[in-house]
Amino acid sequence: MRLTGTPSWLSARRDTSSSRGVQRGGPRPLPQVWAFGGGKGGIGKTFLAANLGATVALAGRRVVLADLDLGGGNLHTCLGVRTGSRVNLLDYLDHRVEELEKVAIETAIPGMRLILGALSHPGAAETTRGQRIEMMRQIRALQADVVILDLSAGTGRQTLDFFLAASVRFMVTTPEPTAIENMYQFLRAAYYRRLAHALSGSPVREVLRAAMDQRNERGIRTPGDLLSEVEKIDSQEAARFKRVISEMRPRLIVNQVRDSDEVKLGFSLRGVCRKHLGVDLDYVGYVNFDDSVWRSVKDRQLLVQAFPQSDGAMYIRRIVKKLLEEGR
Amino acid sequence: MTGIVDQNYYEILEISPDAALQEIERAYRVNRSTYQPSGLATYSVFSDDENAHILERIEEAYTVLSDARARREYDARLRRAGVMLAADATVKTPALAPAATHADSSTSKPASKPESLELDDGYDPEDGVFEGSVLRRIRLSLGLELDEISAQTKIDGGFLISLETNCYRDLPAEVYVRGYLKQYARCLRLDPERVVDSYLTRMREDRSAE
Repeated sequence: MRLTGTPSWLSARRDTSSSRGVQRGGPRPLPQVWAFGGGKGGIGKTFLAANLGATVALAGRRVVLADLDLGGGNLHTCLGVRTGSRVNLLDYLDHRVEELEKVAIETAIPGMRLILGALSHPGAAETTRGQRIEMMRQIRALQADVVILDLSAGTGRQTLDFFLAASVRFMVTTPEPTAIENMYQFLRAAYYRRLAHALSGSPVREVLRAAMDQRNERGIRTPGDLLSEVEKIDSQEAARFKRVISEMRPRLIVNQVRDSDEVKLGFSLRGVCRKHLGVDLDYVGYVNFDDSVWRSVKDRQLLVQAFPQSDGAMYIRRIVKKLLEEGR
Repeated sequence: MTGIVDQNYYEILEISPDAALQEIERAYRVNRSTYQPSGLATYSVFSDDENAHILERIEEAYTVLSDARARREYDARLRRAGVMLAADATVKTPALAPAATHADSSTSKPASKPESLELDDGYDPEDGVFEGSVLRRIRLSLGLELDEISAQTKIDGGFLISLETNCYRDLPAEVYVRGYLKQYARCLRLDPERVVDSYLTRMREDRSAE
C-alpha cells in the first residue's frame, strides 16, 4: 500500500551509490545496530523491531533485520515470510554458511533484508561468548545502514550481550506491572553485566559480585548504590564506572498505550530510573494499541505498510525520525 | 545520583531552579502520580514506607516552591550551601528568583539540569492539517490533560472535546472558535495562526457541505 501524506523525510530516495554505500577514498561507515530488549515476552519487541525496521527502509536506508531470539524467533511471521528450507541463523552457527552476510534474505520491502532465526532447532541454539563476539563483528560488517536485532525475552547472557553490543538499545515495556518489573530486572542485569566486563580492580569486582545478590548485606540495590560503594574504594574505577553508565543510555518505548496516563508512565519510569536507580533512561516515544495493530499482527502484515495512516504507524515514524536525525 | 534525603526540592520535582509556577505545578502533578501508592512505575522498586517517604518529600517541595516567599528563602539557603541556581545566570522570573550575588559562583556546584516532561520530537502533522484528532495526539504527547488546558485557558471542557472530535455542530460561531483555537494552540506550543487557518478551513468545508 502506498503511503499517503508521506512526510518528506520518509520519501527519501534510496542512495545506492555514494553517501551511505561504499565510499571513495574512505572506509565504509559501520551500520548503526539497534537492539530490542525488555525482559518480558509478549510486550511487542518483535512487532516494534519489524515495523521500525520497515520504516527505516522506507526512508531509503538499507536495513537488515536479525532474529536473534534463539529460543524461538518469529520475526519472519510479522513480515509474512514463509521459512520453508531457507537459509537461517542455525546454518551460520553450525558453519554451513561462514558469512552472516550470506544468511540475509530479501524481503518484500525494498532495501530490507532478514536473517531468519535458528528455526530448525528452536531452543537448541546456544552460543559461546566467543561466538557472540564474532557474530557482532560480522553484524557490524553487514552491507547495511541499520541492523536491527530482535532479542529473546529474559535476562540470559546471549540476550544481554547482544543488547550491550548494540549502538542503540531499546527497552520496550507495556503499562502492566509484570512488564515493568521485568524491565527493571533487565536494566539491572544489563548494567551489572556491562560493569563486570568494564571494571578490572579486584576489590571493585568483589563489590560487584556482592551486588548481584539483591539481598546483599551492603544494601546495594541499584547501579547508583553500587557507584557509591565503588567511589569509596577506588576513584579511578568510579570514574570509569560513571563513563560506562552514561554510555549505556537505554531508549524507552512504552508499547500498547491506551490513554494519557499511560503516555505519562514513560516520564515516571524515566524519573524513577534517574533519581533512584542512577540509570539515564531516554524516553523516545510510545505506540498506542488499537484495532489496526491487532489486525496487522493477526494478518501477518506490517502495521506501517497495511495501515500507514493509523496512529500506531505515525508514532513509529516519529520514533524512527528522531533516531535517524540523531544519528546524522 | 543522590538519595532522596540529599536531593534539593528542584531535583525532587525534576525542574529547573528558574521554573515558573506553572511548571512547578505540572511537575508536582506528574511526580505525585508517579509515586502514588502502588503506582505502576514504583510498585516493584520501593516498599510502601519508602514510597510514602518520597511522597512526603514531594509534598514538602511543592509547598515551599509554590509559595513565592518560602521559595526565595529556600533559594537563599541553597546558595549559602553552595548550590548555584540557574537563576544566577539568567533571571527569568524576577519576582520568584532574586538576582545573583555572583559571590559563590566559583566554588558552588550547579543544580542538576532536569529533562523536560514532554516528548520533544516535533509535533507537526505529517500532512500539515491541524484537525481535531491531530491536536488531541499532540496534547497527549505533551502529557497534558484536558482539564489542565481548560484551567489554563478558561475554555469550557465540553468545547475542547468538540474541538478535538471535530464536532463542528457543537461549537459556537467561528469568531469564538478562532479565539479558542489560538489559546489551545499556545498551550500546545504550536503556531496559533497555522492552527487556526488549517482547522477553520476544514471546519468551513464541513459546515458548507451540510
